[in-house]
Amino acid sequence: MSCPHAIATRTPAPLLRLRSHPLRIALVGNPNVGKSVIFGRLTGRYVTVSNYPGTTVAVTRGRATIGAEVCDVIDTPGVNALDGPLSEDEKVTRDLLQGGGAELIVQVADARNLRRALMLTSQIAEFRQPMILVLNMIDEARARGVDIDIDGLAAQLGVPVIEAVATEGRGLAELREALAVPARARAAGDEGLAHTQWADETARRFRTIGPLSLGRAQEWLGRAVREPLTGIPILILVLYATYLFVGVLGAQTLVGVLEDGLFGTYLNPWATAAAAHLPIAAARDFLVGEYGLITMGLTYAIAIVLPVVTTFFLVFGFLEDSGYIPRLAIFSDRLFRAMGLNGKAVLPMVLGLGCDTMATMTTRILATPKERLIAILLLALGVPCSAQLATIMGILGGISFAAVVTLFGVVVFQMVFVGFLAARVLTGERSDFVMELPPMRLPRLRNLLTKTALRVRWYLGEAVPLFLIGTVLLFGLDRIGLLAAIVSAARPLVTGVLGLPPKAAEVFVMGFLRRDYGAAGLFLMARDGALTHVQAVVALTVMTLFVPCVANFLMIVKERGLRIGLAILTVVTLIAVGTGAVLNGVLGFLHVAF
Amino acid sequence: MSRSDLQPLSTLPPGTRGRIVRVMRDLTARAERLAAFGVSPGANILVLQTFPGIVFECDQTELAVERLVARAILVDVEQRG
Repeated sequence: MSCPHAIATRTPAPLLRLRSHPLRIALVGNPNVGKSVIFGRLTGRYVTVSNYPGTTVAVTRGRATIGAEVCDVIDTPGVNALDGPLSEDEKVTRDLLQGGGAELIVQVADARNLRRALMLTSQIAEFRQPMILVLNMIDEARARGVDIDIDGLAAQLGVPVIEAVATEGRGLAELREALAVPARARAAGDEGLAHTQWADETARRFRTIGPLSLGRAQEWLGRAVREPLTGIPILILVLYATYLFVGVLGAQTLVGVLEDGLFGTYLNPWATAAAAHLPIAAARDFLVGEYGLITMGLTYAIAIVLPVVTTFFLVFGFLEDSGYIPRLAIFSDRLFRAMGLNGKAVLPMVLGLGCDTMATMTTRILATPKERLIAILLLALGVPCSAQLATIMGILGGISFAAVVTLFGVVVFQMVFVGFLAARVLTGERSDFVMELPPMRLPRLRNLLTKTALRVRWYLGEAVPLFLIGTVLLFGLDRIGLLAAIVSAARPLVTGVLGLPPKAAEVFVMGFLRRDYGAAGLFLMARDGALTHVQAVVALTVMTLFVPCVANFLMIVKERGLRIGLAILTVVTLIAVGTGAVLNGVLGFLHVAF
Repeated sequence: MSRSDLQPLSTLPPGTRGRIVRVMRDLTARAERLAAFGVSPGANILVLQTFPGIVFECDQTELAVERLVARAILVDVEQRG
């Protein structure tokens, strides 16, 4: 390994040497300091980057060429500590370092908070691996009046210290150079001090804090969104703007263009005309029939869901990068506490609106097993994902505002109620609410577009095949008569208890595969006049509360095991049908027609 | 006015500046390690907001905590002027 004096003599150690495997470089640091941005810059690979802690929950690897050598770069989840009691993602990082998973550690730090960074430096030093310290976001630190004596700090630690603004690529060249001369850090352990005391003293010696020169607008906005008097109107405004962009522009205008225009006028008639040449009737139906691959599968995926998903991901990415979402935790903390969680749970819940499967993985940022289990249950129960939200808005937006309020009212009430019960039934504890609020920033257009493009591609890659498989499955079930059997078997439940037309049973079968696929089915039924307004509200409520999609279910099993997965599936299905029945009864009793 | 200005964070109005003197361990056992966020004796704080949650700046980090946690953080309040 490199010798500790490399930095003092400034002789770059030769990087090219014999190894049994490529040099492994681990990026380690506090949450939300920009590890993933640096990872992307070094490897050319994009990983999701957001402005809140916990975006990276698993280790990501990539290749980078440093000098003449090809290295493995490892992006790790953010850690607040590597010693003492650790959260699940902190253990991931610690195990990697402890198990000799990396020959070189690059600590990425937020230059604004040197003391906190040094606390971690001191713990990293205990692993006795060569390291480099990168002080990222140095521009924001300077704006806040923080000035750090880089050379003094480097001499004290005995490792290269680099200033960087990773989002702009500043400091990356210096980092690449420094990768040749890493060294073991001298920290608390070498001086017989506690980490905190050492970090305190070192930070005080090399940092001066002058007057704040934060941008006026940035400061004002940061305050406006967290004070209740301005924050709540802003929240309503944000929700309304999202509705306009996703619910009106996406779900109505763009869906109209694609569905009536592209598919209705061109693709479907062409496909039907072309299929007419096929000699076998079954093959014709397979492509363009009632459950046709093109007329149903592709139309659902591309014309109905895609526009909404795309507009949603744009808004969502904007909110993520602005730093707004964590501030919602301040308002929601009390409510979440009643459900055995704390305000921090707002992150997985809001992320669930993007995709419940990914959000299930994000529950790892919650501190206790009980919190993680409740959050996973609530995600599976009530949080509609983007695609589903799309179809809900598409259908109910066309009925009335009261219909939208009824659905979300029932779903939120059900989540709070189930959370309240779960908090009391499940054993374990919740943790206290402590959350870091990242600075408000104007999102960078390039990151926003890259992120949206990546997510849309993911949607096309994952959802579209499932839509097609679902269509094939329905086609098959219909052919062999099983679909009719399921529909008639479910009839007492669907028509009797829920008061829906028998065909709705088919839609629920589809919902098992993907909730949005089922919701898209309801969308068409509603448009064709096959559902009354009350039926639409009841059906969508049941679908929203209904079983999670296959991907989400598999993720739950992966995170919490098969037994809990099946338990959640059962509970959620019972609640969904039960709620639908009660809602149907109450609406009928009150003669509500929307 | 009292001379001793040692007060828990939970009682301080917005705009108060001070220095953390003590973090009571037994009251924060359920909280994530506060020290990891930089909340430890010696850190400078500025109270930003007290409702619905307590928001304060600790060194250069903005943090939100619930009242229970704020009660465990003892602050030496800086005199105005």
